[in-house]
Amino acid sequence: MRNQTYVSRRETTASFVRNRNTVRVSKRSLGSISQIVIVSMLTLVFGLIYVAEGTKATSFDYEISAVESEISDLSARRDELAVEKARLTSVAAAKNSTVAAAMEDATVTGYVAD
Amino acid sequence: MSRTKILKTITLVAFAIIAVRLFFIQIIEHDKWVAKASDQHTLLETIVAKRGEIYMMNGSEPVQVVLNETVFSVIIDPAVTDKDRIITALNEHAKDQITADLDKVFSTEGLRYYIVAKNVSHSAATKIADQDIPGVWFQTNNQRAYPEGEFASGLLGFVNADGLGQYGVEGSLNKLLSGTNGLLKTTSDINNVALSIGDDNVKIPAEDGKDVVLSIDRGLEEKVEELAKATIANTAATNASVLVLKADTNEVLAMANLPNYNPGDYGNVKDESAYINYTTQNPYDPYEPASVCKSFAFSAAINEGVMTPETTYFNDHYDIVDERKIENAWKGSNVYGQINMKDALNWSLNTGSMQALRLLGGDAENINREGREKLYDYYYNRFRLGQKTGIELIEDAGSLIEPNANMYGLNAAYANMTFGQNLNVTMIQTITAFSAVVNGGFYRTPTILKGTIEDGKIVESNQEDRVEEQVLSSETSATMRDLLINNRSSKRSQGIDRKGYSVGGKSGTAQMIIGGAYDTTMEKTVGSYAGFVASEGGMPEYVIMVKLWNPKGAKLEGKDAGYLFDSISNFVIDYFKIKPGGV
Repeated sequence: MRNQTYVSRRETTASFVRNRNTVRVSKRSLGSISQIVIVSMLTLVFGLIYVAEGTKATSFDYEISAVESEISDLSARRDELAVEKARLTSVAAAKNSTVAAAMEDATVTGYVAD
Repeated sequence: MSRTKILKTITLVAFAIIAVRLFFIQIIEHDKWVAKASDQHTLLETIVAKRGEIYMMNGSEPVQVVLNETVFSVIIDPAVTDKDRIITALNEHAKDQITADLDKVFSTEGLRYYIVAKNVSHSAATKIADQDIPGVWFQTNNQRAYPEGEFASGLLGFVNADGLGQYGVEGSLNKLLSGTNGLLKTTSDINNVALSIGDDNVKIPAEDGKDVVLSIDRGLEEKVEELAKATIANTAATNASVLVLKADTNEVLAMANLPNYNPGDYGNVKDESAYINYTTQNPYDPYEPASVCKSFAFSAAINEGVMTPETTYFNDHYDIVDERKIENAWKGSNVYGQINMKDALNWSLNTGSMQALRLLGGDAENINREGREKLYDYYYNRFRLGQKTGIELIEDAGSLIEPNANMYGLNAAYANMTFGQNLNVTMIQTITAFSAVVNGGFYRTPTILKGTIEDGKIVESNQEDRVEEQVLSSETSATMRDLLINNRSSKRSQGIDRKGYSVGGKSGTAQMIIGGAYDTTMEKTVGSYAGFVASEGGMPEYVIMVKLWNPKGAKLEGKDAGYLFDSISNFVIDYFKIKPGGV
């Protein structure tokens, strides 16, 4: 009869662990240069976003300014046309018209002793 | 000391200096630098309110007679501008607006930024701008446009270079027409473009002025001015003023002051007296409507029940009052002796109106305190002579001597007042009182403001403050109408007053006051006439008043004013298509 010695699984594992190299795992960190670069990049990105938004707002302001200028221009044109229309329909214009030229002049009704 | 240490020390000192300077700027002078920065990038602009336009009535439709327009000044830099191109452009598009000798401008050494044309229209300025000539700028100016030219200038007034209304409607209704300016405060960029960034941007919109509609009828006003011009051309008068009012409302339909001027070129008017609206103001001399006022004295006595048209008195052609001899202008034998009041008014006898004053005092022989007080009550309290009428225009109050004033010759002064002298009133006061005499006895505040235009429609002006008061009985008013129609019987018999219409009126010839005293020669007089137009047997529809004068002195009588009245009254009948009655 062959003699067998019982070896617990734990003991087997322990001997296995015992015979292996161990490695110590330490926490990883960026170097100071990397940190500066990353922060700078982030700052740059945020800066660009801010500038882009700001420029976008300003471009709208320019558009508004251009529209307002156009309104003002059209308003001036409208006023000019309104004045021209009023001149053409004025009493003086009517009096100088060909129709008026064919009419008799107004005269004083008459004179009598007071 | 090593070089490194020296470098360190220098660097440290430099930084220390910068730090101190920064502290000084940021802490000590903080407010100053913030303000400076703010000035550089803050745009502060007044948003100019648009001035309201002025309309008159053209029948039942409002029509613009005063508008706004944008015009431009052309500015050049002779050092940069292409001479030939700008001269060609200006001659082509704005020849009449060139204000400078262009050759001289270009030959003057060192001259920069010079205005070479003014009041250039928008379309002309656009055409010049399209040519893209270097060194040319345009300055925008807003100005009033008077497309009718000189028409109704005394009524309308003008707007001065500061944008303030002067005289007439422009001056009187300046607040209503001006509106309220707004404000724009915002961050701006280098091109002065308003930016929406920033925390303290402010925009208060402007409140534009109201577009006002006058009760003036443009067609009537034009004709009245035309007839008044013809009168000036044919008489010694240099000035004429006319009022036409609707008798039942006292809405002013025509208000003419001749001679006219161009409100768009008011600066070239040599005599500022041309700006005055003489229907509501007498800034230089008192205005006395003379015998027109007999209708007031007569109506007072009739209304008090102390006189009728048939009441008689002895006309001796003169009276002595307070040791002063007061004579009639007409001394014909036909009216000498016992005559009635109807004839006294027909012949415009001063003795007749003085008799009315005596009768008011209850003493047919003498003028007394009671008579003075009653006349004053009618003149001042009822007819509001010597008081502002409340019309929406700049107006004078004038003056009336009080019945118990501490002065010698008070009775003589009151005797004079019965025939319209020794008082200072305005035309608008006189015609408003005259309207009350003939329209059934109602005094109504005259008005020239029909309303404002809101959303294209006329919104009637608030008339709550207007006075409407019965100051004479309807019977007295009817009697006065008959007397005034009878006064024009000769005009009717000669066909001047047409059949089917009742036209009544009274003339007045006032001695001019020169150096504070009456001109006794009777060669320098002011002629006035007040009257009404009605369908025969009907109530008056329109009241009309005319005044003719020459500030240098000329003989202008009530009958001269009456001729102009005749023309206007006949035109009014046709223009308003008054239906004839009794035919």
